[in-house]
Amino acid sequence: MNIVIAVISLLGTIAIFYACKALYQKFSKEWLTPILISPLVIILLLLVTGTSYESYNAGADILSNLLGPATVAFAVPIYKNFDLLKKHAFEIVLSIAIGSAVAIASSFIIALVVGLNDELVHSLVPRSVTTPIAMDISNMIGGSPTLTAVFVMTTGILASLLAPIVMRICRFQKPSARGLMLGMGAHGTGTSKAFELGELEGTFASLAMIVAALISIVLSATFFPVLEHFVMNILLPSW
Amino acid sequence: MKIVKSFVQIGYLYIILFIGNSIARLLHLPIPGSIIGLILLFLMLQFHLIKLEWIELGAGLLLGELLLFFIPSAIGIIDYDALFGIQGVKVILVISVSAFVVMLVTGYTAQWLERKKGDAA
Repeated sequence: MNIVIAVISLLGTIAIFYACKALYQKFSKEWLTPILISPLVIILLLLVTGTSYESYNAGADILSNLLGPATVAFAVPIYKNFDLLKKHAFEIVLSIAIGSAVAIASSFIIALVVGLNDELVHSLVPRSVTTPIAMDISNMIGGSPTLTAVFVMTTGILASLLAPIVMRICRFQKPSARGLMLGMGAHGTGTSKAFELGELEGTFASLAMIVAALISIVLSATFFPVLEHFVMNILLPSW
Repeated sequence: MKIVKSFVQIGYLYIILFIGNSIARLLHLPIPGSIIGLILLFLMLQFHLIKLEWIELGAGLLLGELLLFFIPSAIGIIDYDALFGIQGVKVILVISVSAFVVMLVTGYTAQWLERKKGDAA
């Protein structure tokens, strides 16, 4: 029985994803993006049939597992466009360093302002980097890694929906600005979205995602403790 | 035939991932094995230790279907009942505002630096 649920979960997830993708391509509405609609449909089905996440994931886990080799595969677009990336190395590193610091600081401060509890606040801080690294950082700064994984996904979905608005308001035309913003703001899902715009955008996004991951590890061990100390011991008591 | 070739190539990527994971574990690095694997593969391509054709199809297949691999972890949210109430609304607010600002700042910085360089690319 369990194996049947696992097989149905795996095949069902793939079928629902491609059905959503077809719908998205047919109507090209941003909110129809398969990363938003397919989880909603599947969650609904799980709730209606009373299936637990554990038994669903026993089968669907194969898909999450493929994220491992997929991350390795990012070496290919980077290799193909290495000359271009070398030429833009300075912009990439500086804009991602600033983006990472803003991601950490804004998640922390806004989470405190809206009054979330300590565990949620610390689990939100690493939300802008790719899942395995975000979970490690969460563990390091006292958050909950599993909650962080959920927030990383939520970030991917929300940021992909917001990205077209940001690009329109700010008139970001260059592949570098568009790709870096997507890879920084929405990690893997943003990178996937960037490849929809073009190979160049996708390459910049892949690199942004990697650089963001590495810089965030450093910032979480250096910048975040200082920020936390400043906000909790100096800023808050003086309010 | 193409699909068989892609699957074999994904197998190669798994081998590189395995090496990356082993390196991370042995050296106690705070970096995940997948990122080490990425750097390894890049170096091997750059120094012509392996040919692009050996992995290009498999890599293309994985990167093309990347979104699909995120779906099961997104569904993990159903195990957090507390996030379906007011807490959830607050979390969505935090993430939306923060993500918006992050993308704006990152994009502007990149564009500003590029303009300063007076680069036509």
